[in-house]
Amino acid sequence: MSTNFEFIKYEEQGATGVITINRPEVYNALSRAAKLEIIKALRDANRSPGIRTLVIAAEGKAFCTGQDLNDRTVQANEGQKIDLGNTLETEWNPLVKAIRSSSKPVIAAVQGVVAGAGVSVALACDLIIAKAGVKFVSGFTRLGLCPDAGSSFILGRAIGDKKALEFFLLGEPLMSDFLVEKGLINCLSDSPLDNALAWASKINNLSPKSTSLVKRNLQNAVESSYEDSMNNETAAQRHLGNSEEYQEGLKAFFEKREPKFH
Amino acid sequence: MNIIVEKNWDNHPHIALVKLNRPKVLNALSTDLMNELIEALFKLEDDQEVRVIILTGDDRAFAAGADIAEMVEHTPVDKIMENRFRAWSQLPLIGKPIIAAVSGFALGGGCELAMACDMIIAGDNAKFGQPEISIGAMPGAGGTQRLTRIIGKSKAMMMNLTGEMIDAKKAYDWGLVAKVVPAETLLQETFEIAKKIAAKAPVAVRLAKESINRAYETTLKEGMEFERRNFYLTFSSSDQKEGMRAFLEKREAKYTGR
Repeated sequence: MSTNFEFIKYEEQGATGVITINRPEVYNALSRAAKLEIIKALRDANRSPGIRTLVIAAEGKAFCTGQDLNDRTVQANEGQKIDLGNTLETEWNPLVKAIRSSSKPVIAAVQGVVAGAGVSVALACDLIIAKAGVKFVSGFTRLGLCPDAGSSFILGRAIGDKKALEFFLLGEPLMSDFLVEKGLINCLSDSPLDNALAWASKINNLSPKSTSLVKRNLQNAVESSYEDSMNNETAAQRHLGNSEEYQEGLKAFFEKREPKFH
Repeated sequence: MNIIVEKNWDNHPHIALVKLNRPKVLNALSTDLMNELIEALFKLEDDQEVRVIILTGDDRAFAAGADIAEMVEHTPVDKIMENRFRAWSQLPLIGKPIIAAVSGFALGGGCELAMACDMIIAGDNAKFGQPEISIGAMPGAGGTQRLTRIIGKSKAMMMNLTGEMIDAKKAYDWGLVAKVVPAETLLQETFEIAKKIAAKAPVAVRLAKESINRAYETTLKEGMEFERRNFYLTFSSSDQKEGMRAFLEKREAKYTGR
């Protein structure tokens, strides 16, 4: 696969695709081009049959500090209108959606500060492993803006609107330790990337069909009713029940061995 | 072959699957494809074994509209003389229920074709839209008519005038689709619905379909009268006798289609 990216690195370790945000000189703030590269890497990896799990990591001290304010399109000048809605519609939202809709699980390895829309990117991932003491900073209100790219939804649901509002309005960072308690981060690790890779290789051994439906059903469950969620589960199970993978899983169970899905 | 027909789909004697098959062009609805489709549907209509038809595309697209390459230089006279919508006009003549199973894009003619079916089941990756306005045209096969009756004027205006797509969830909330299921499971879940319909008395199914479609064509008073006549008409079928007797005797009904 092509790895000709300018702002990210993409490499494959076995069946794991590792996307590394690589703009340490600007604390991994994302320009339009950088965002489009991540989206492309996610889409390519989703199409690549050899890849079963993705990891998003970052180079340097920061994980991702959101919008690169050097991008001309986000700089408000007197007398000239800009459209940040368009920046969201064509850059941030597609990025977050590419993570959410990836049929292959995406694990974030968060080694350093996360800020602005970077919070949305990290929290959009399916599993998150972070260093202890990592700060999640909102920063939008200091700029006279509001949190975007799905962070109102995810934080509002996970930590409640009061805590989320405190986070957005008062400028105090949320620490990774607190987010673990709240279930927004899976676990803390001194070496998040190693941990993420270890989890990825476990997931790589599972049936991809089952993995992707487990992910989608959970996403749907959070946004729908008990009844709808059960209908999705029913549909998924009916589908999986006729898969070769289930045949293998059952066989392995009765033969008291590990299943081989690939 | 622009159309693939599988009778006895999934070994069910009464269910037929019709697949739009131009995957390279996202199943763009060329005139040839539409003619083949209507021909296939009429064959299934005549086939006494078939009770329910499922119409689908592939994972990426149900159908992404008309064949733009085919019409870019057309004049109105070309359009009139080719009678492009002949096949479309014949779709309502199919008396058997047609279920559209939509995965991926249903745009322009694709959205119109899905709406011309009797119900739509969508994969959670489905996208519906009438983007004709974006290429300097407008819908010509129901995108301003069926869509407006289904989702209402304001939403139909928004879709038609901006050309923007809506996703499966919104299509469900707006009443365009009957059910949303995980995309991978779309055909199986549609099949489950088709199976339930195929187990019902075919005459009653036809008359009920006809009555519901009449609701879009007439006043409530006339529609109610139409419905009542069809209700009376079911009593002329042996399946009505069988259905009600089976109910009273607490057993499964065995329908013959008469």
